[in-house]
Amino acid sequence: MPTAEWMVTEVKKVYPDANIEAFDTTGSGDHWFIKIIDSKFEGMRLFQRQKPVIQHFKPHIATNYVHALDLKCWTPEQAQEREGEVPFSPHEAKRTGFVGLQVRRANKEE
Amino acid sequence: MTEFNWTADELQKVVDENKLVLFMKGTPEQPQCGFSARAAMVFQQLEMPFISVNILSDPRAIPSVCEWSDWPTMPQCFVDGELIGGSDIALEMYESGELQEMIAEISE
Repeated sequence: MPTAEWMVTEVKKVYPDANIEAFDTTGSGDHWFIKIIDSKFEGMRLFQRQKPVIQHFKPHIATNYVHALDLKCWTPEQAQEREGEVPFSPHEAKRTGFVGLQVRRANKEE
Repeated sequence: MTEFNWTADELQKVVDENKLVLFMKGTPEQPQCGFSARAAMVFQQLEMPFISVNILSDPRAIPSVCEWSDWPTMPQCFVDGELIGGSDIALEMYESGELQEMIAEISE
């Protein structure tokens, strides 16, 4: 089972200078919320920031060793703005219906 | 209706002919995965209709879509023919307003 240390080590291979934190969101070691903070993300689109990480994990995703990656690739400024944010838990979302987004339903119900 | 075989040509046609496409596990009404639910929820907030493709409907779907798009996980969000990423990116772009800007641009 992947550990947080292993996840961080693997992400470091892609972004050696980044500040990286990995959270196991389900306790099963295969769903990971990972914060990757790197000043080089400045001016890069989110997709371009994520892509090398996703590509790196491809073989592990293929074997399902890693099942899900929820990535936050932030510049240090973005990380500061969003400090203290709670990792999204996909299984919790299924149970409660809360998906990490405050939904405006008022208009739809009227 | 002709049969859909999940070829690269067929998949490309889906995203070429529809401005917003979500490849997901289940349907927006009955998502089968928390991340797919999150992506569908984001798309439902947008002022543009989207189509969703249930990749659990056919065992060929996941390997075919992932190979075609060169992205190994689900869901996958396409805007104007371009893969923007999974539910994490869709949500972040929605929160920042970037996604709504993209939608406004392609609505013109």
